[in-house]
Amino acid sequence: MPSEAPVYESLLEHTPKINQQLARYGVKFGLYKNGQFNERLFPFDAIPRVIKADVWADLERGLAQRVDALNAYLADVYGEKQIIRDGVVPEDFAFASSGYLPQCEGITPPGGIYSHISGIDLVEGENDEWFVLEDNLRIPSGASYPLVARQLCRRCDAETFRDASLVDNRDYGDRLRRVMDNVNTGGLNVILTPGRYNAAYFEHTYLAEKAGAVLAEPQELFVENERLYYRGGMGNQLVGAVYRRLSDEFLDPLCFRADSLIGVPNLMSAYRAGNVAVVNTPGNGAADDKGIYYFVPKMVEYYLGEKPILKNAPTYLPFYPDDMAYVQENAEKLVIKDVAEAGGYGVVFGSSLTEEKLEDLKALIRREPRRFIAQEVVDFLCLPTYIDGQIVPRKADLRAFVLSGAKTEVWPSGLTRYSREEGSAIVNSSQGGGFKDTWVLS
Amino acid sequence: MKILNYFFETRLDFSEPVKEHQFVLRCMPPNTGSQTVMDAQIIVEPPVTLSEQVDGFGNKLQVGRLEAPHDSFSFVSSGMVMVDTAQARAVPLHPMYLRESDLTQAGAGVKGFVADVLRVSCNASVLEKAHRLAEAVAERMEYVKGATGVDTTAEEALALGQGVCQDYAHVLIACCRQAGVAARYVNGFLLGEGETHAWVEVHDGARWHGLDPTNRREADCSYITLSHGRDFADCPIERGVFVGGAQQSQTVRVQVTDDAAWAALGTYSG
Repeated sequence: MPSEAPVYESLLEHTPKINQQLARYGVKFGLYKNGQFNERLFPFDAIPRVIKADVWADLERGLAQRVDALNAYLADVYGEKQIIRDGVVPEDFAFASSGYLPQCEGITPPGGIYSHISGIDLVEGENDEWFVLEDNLRIPSGASYPLVARQLCRRCDAETFRDASLVDNRDYGDRLRRVMDNVNTGGLNVILTPGRYNAAYFEHTYLAEKAGAVLAEPQELFVENERLYYRGGMGNQLVGAVYRRLSDEFLDPLCFRADSLIGVPNLMSAYRAGNVAVVNTPGNGAADDKGIYYFVPKMVEYYLGEKPILKNAPTYLPFYPDDMAYVQENAEKLVIKDVAEAGGYGVVFGSSLTEEKLEDLKALIRREPRRFIAQEVVDFLCLPTYIDGQIVPRKADLRAFVLSGAKTEVWPSGLTRYSREEGSAIVNSSQGGGFKDTWVLS
Repeated sequence: MKILNYFFETRLDFSEPVKEHQFVLRCMPPNTGSQTVMDAQIIVEPPVTLSEQVDGFGNKLQVGRLEAPHDSFSFVSSGMVMVDTAQARAVPLHPMYLRESDLTQAGAGVKGFVADVLRVSCNASVLEKAHRLAEAVAERMEYVKGATGVDTTAEEALALGQGVCQDYAHVLIACCRQAGVAARYVNGFLLGEGETHAWVEVHDGARWHGLDPTNRREADCSYITLSHGRDFADCPIERGVFVGGAQQSQTVRVQVTDDAAWAALGTYSG
């Protein structure tokens, strides 16, 4: 029996209050633009995205399957490279990805898990049909937003939550702790933050509290004799798992960028020796590149011997001559993505360009075919969104969080982001949209 | 075949004490097909426990940390290796050596240079192309110390037309990769030289071959390999970070001698 849609109208009147509280919590989104650091509130819309139980069950299976395949790919690309030898993923894509780090060749992480926390971005088309737009396997952020929003909404409007038959999402912290415990080599669980000026600093502090982990800045950690230690008030303590919210290239100045002042020198030596779990493992960018995305359904079949449950948006790789011809012919109706750019940058809708600019782009694609992918514009659903006192339709995506511990599990919630402007399909928070809670019905 | 004795000392002096000094050294020769380590030791001063590891490129690392304040740091790596390039093993090529790296990106200068050098050699083998490029790089570049730094790219060095062995190697690597020849950067020692040296290896589809554009010769049995990577940044012989605002000065001493006495020994087995 499909459950009835719960009533959320009474939440609307609480929207201003909840946003005020979010601001007080410091739920902000920081970003660099033109060399300036700006902080912006990440507006919350109280109308949740509601996902029916049976739809969620399919999504759950599809997401777990996809992440299992991605983990298998990472083990392969940094190990035996069988999928490349078998010609399923061409060399040109596997190793041309800027996220592929040869420094990580041959390292087997504790538990054999590479992507512990995966953020898979999906959109919903017609007829409950979902498409994956992007896999984020480095350090996907955003779980704290729906988490804190749910908590505030429940506080403001307990009745709605008493009556609604939805799955409680407030166990994310416990799930995160279990994921870290699963690979912990014996020692503290630590969340490593670059510091308070990081865009997601609020999330780092919040998750540390919820997961019962120690929040540490880089200078509070050091490596000696292939082990990672936390300089605590009670002496130095061994670290068994570090959930680092610091990107790969800055992680260890003795292994990656030598000019990184925010890394932990020789962290990689402790990781290489198997004495600490790094969550997620360095080098995961090799599997979430926009060019590798095309191959993920093939990975599902290759590694798991299963049919992929989740679909990609129809994607073309100009690298293949047939696809190049199609892209040259149809560029004006496609969305063109630069594989090297992240966060909604480097995404161009062919339809938005003047004829001249479109020709320039097509020429650029001919010159650098490996640099671009092209996708059909997926007409994804709008969600009712409460803006300036009115309920208006806004395009929205969903970042689902998949946690790989002893088992691969999907957090029954997720971050729903909506676009600021009507009709716009770019929902990244760095482009000025807002977010919603995601309700999974029980 | 040669049997080479090596002695390599690096000393860093700090103008004031530094602490929490973390370092990674690639200063001990590894066993490869063409190189057999017969004897090797390392001494670090101040004394500290070293962890031996292997990095993603297959290089041997010595990793350590000096917590207490110190105003100098030195290491001595010494030993004996047998070098026989005829024994170079066939190894599969990792495709990363066909791709540009940060320091070896080909700009207009490198592209034009390669087109010019190889304009009449469409049928040349991989090794012929590499040799021709090495010859041309040696011709174009002038060995000048202090004209370039550790961050100088191949494109910049070629435009300048000057540099040291690192720059010669980067320029040749950029040229080779531009011409579709897999190439990698190698650090090590050269018999008779008092400093560390850098050269290039190119992969012919089966095995790596050493080319030394700085000295216009093949890297033969007079070369001892320490480390390799896509470019210098992947495989420095020493890299460290410490807490302290000290000025540092570095002294490097290298001595490599040909142990003819050993090479002249005969062997038998029954």
